[in-house]
Amino acid sequence: MSSAPEWLTDERESAALAAMLSPSSPLSLESLAEESKAITLRRFGRTISLYAPLYLSNHCSSGCIYCGFASDRTTLRRRLEEDEIERELLAMKKLGISDILLLTGERTKRADFDYLRRAVEIAARSTQRVSVEAFPMTVAEYHALAECGCTGITIYQETYNRERYEALHRWGPKKDFLDRLETPARALDGGIKTVGLGVLLGLSEPVEDALMLYRHVRHLSKTYWRAGISVSFPRMRPQTGGYEPPFPVDDHLLARMIFAYRIALPDVELVLSTRESAAYRDGMAGLGITRMSIASRTTVGGYDDNSTEKGQFDVSDDRSAEEFCAALRAKDIEPVFKNWEPVFNGPSSEQSAEMKGKKLHV
Amino acid sequence: MDLLQLGSYSFTSRLILGTGKFSNARVMLEAVRASGTQLVTVALRRFNREQLEDDLFGPLKEIQGITLMPNTSGASTAAEAVRAAHIARELSGSPFIKVEIHPNPQHLMPDPIETYEAARILAKEGFLVMPYISADPVLAKRLEEVGCVSVMPLGSAIGSGQGLATAGMLNIIIRESGIPVIVDAGLRSPSEAAAAMEMGCGAVLVNSAVAVASDPPKMAEAFAGAVIAGRTGFNAGLMQKSGSAVATSPLTSFLGAKA
Repeated sequence: MSSAPEWLTDERESAALAAMLSPSSPLSLESLAEESKAITLRRFGRTISLYAPLYLSNHCSSGCIYCGFASDRTTLRRRLEEDEIERELLAMKKLGISDILLLTGERTKRADFDYLRRAVEIAARSTQRVSVEAFPMTVAEYHALAECGCTGITIYQETYNRERYEALHRWGPKKDFLDRLETPARALDGGIKTVGLGVLLGLSEPVEDALMLYRHVRHLSKTYWRAGISVSFPRMRPQTGGYEPPFPVDDHLLARMIFAYRIALPDVELVLSTRESAAYRDGMAGLGITRMSIASRTTVGGYDDNSTEKGQFDVSDDRSAEEFCAALRAKDIEPVFKNWEPVFNGPSSEQSAEMKGKKLHV
Repeated sequence: MDLLQLGSYSFTSRLILGTGKFSNARVMLEAVRASGTQLVTVALRRFNREQLEDDLFGPLKEIQGITLMPNTSGASTAAEAVRAAHIARELSGSPFIKVEIHPNPQHLMPDPIETYEAARILAKEGFLVMPYISADPVLAKRLEEVGCVSVMPLGSAIGSGQGLATAGMLNIIIRESGIPVIVDAGLRSPSEAAAAMEMGCGAVLVNSAVAVASDPPKMAEAFAGAVIAGRTGFNAGLMQKSGSAVATSPLTSFLGAKA
């Protein structure tokens, strides 16, 4: 087994964050909240940028023990065909959504790279901003996606604890911990502008995961100086398969993590999805979170029809786009639907070979 | 009349307002009105042709006496900024373009190399180019040389509220510049805006400090007053600072002494 890279275990890098997350930290949650709020306001103003997920396919070749779409589930498998994708996009556009995250499961014959690339092409024609959360790809594949108008790749490590990782991912290509770890760097090498990182909270010891996630962010920032980076804090939700998370994260710890991340990374987008309740999301808006999903469906499609089939996980905040925006406005926060311009699409400038080959010792 | 001259355009107000980060378009418009500004900048990426509530461009067009200066925020290369400028001109009809190129979307520091290249191309095409730059005196002169109508060095990191952290460099830029120098980014308080104007800046651009104030229109008004005070002070001729008291036995008393 090849060993994990040095940057992942360098505790000096995450010392300040560790101090804020320590159970014995003298910093009260309230004091962290105040600082986090002040930083967020200064840097991002009174705005929250919005996006929505579109599940293209739930075909999957992986055996993630915690996922409703794992290949051993009896879930009905289906993928959206091109005309269906068009219809879903139109339905999303009617809701005002112009920033879309396209999702698939692990690579399969039914939902392979060519299928995904075609979906990106279609989405980029009618949408301001297109990101992808799918399977790990090669540098060349990422480059091809960037050329079609994909600006962001979301790829969660799920957990940075290697033992836990290998136990949770029972089979399939996702079982390779180090390959997964290197995927965001490959996306950036391919010219993708923004990578979204995260851990699935509940799978492993959360503070340990939060610190390693932070080191991953710092490593990518130093190595890829142009990279946009966002961090999400997804907590396990009830899902098909009924997996019980062994390390549940309560509301207070999640809040502490979000505030501490905002203080440690003042300029990074922090994302909170509809996995969280309406009350929690409203409370967090403006306190550290700067990007939220809206009116989400976690079924394949789901915007163009009112299907009641089970999605990848149960959405907790099921308010309509209008209701959610009204709640933000009541808090004096502007919901921003459009914060991008397709003229900025295309692969980012190439990272020089010197930077790429450099071993960072800092 | 003491006018801010940008290309063939002149303005009586020396306060430029940014339009992002506000809680809604109504508050933003109130702040714009209260500031008495005649020039506002708006990001192309916040132009929403679908006319949703988050569009910043539509509402601004309605205000009389305001010139729009679209900006290229979001661009990470010169090529992207040039394309964005073309679209912005088409949509806004404004000859101004604020060139903002930040390859890193986190800290938003301007890329001097790409900015220079975009400014050179756009000035040649007839745009009135206002580049957002680090406080670099040589870059400022290079941009003046290629035909920019002003340079916009940062006072400190954007959104940081650290004021005129680059004062030393700004002084050199102002002293050497043949075009208006507009401090852009970092100003937190009206007194800092006044200080920038006293230094001899042509104008200041403020966004966060107004947008995130508890009462944005009131803060806009405060900045307007400060800018006028600072400019008036500059024009009136500030008293020179003296570092120490005058020595009682002058060091040069031997000069001209009789042998």
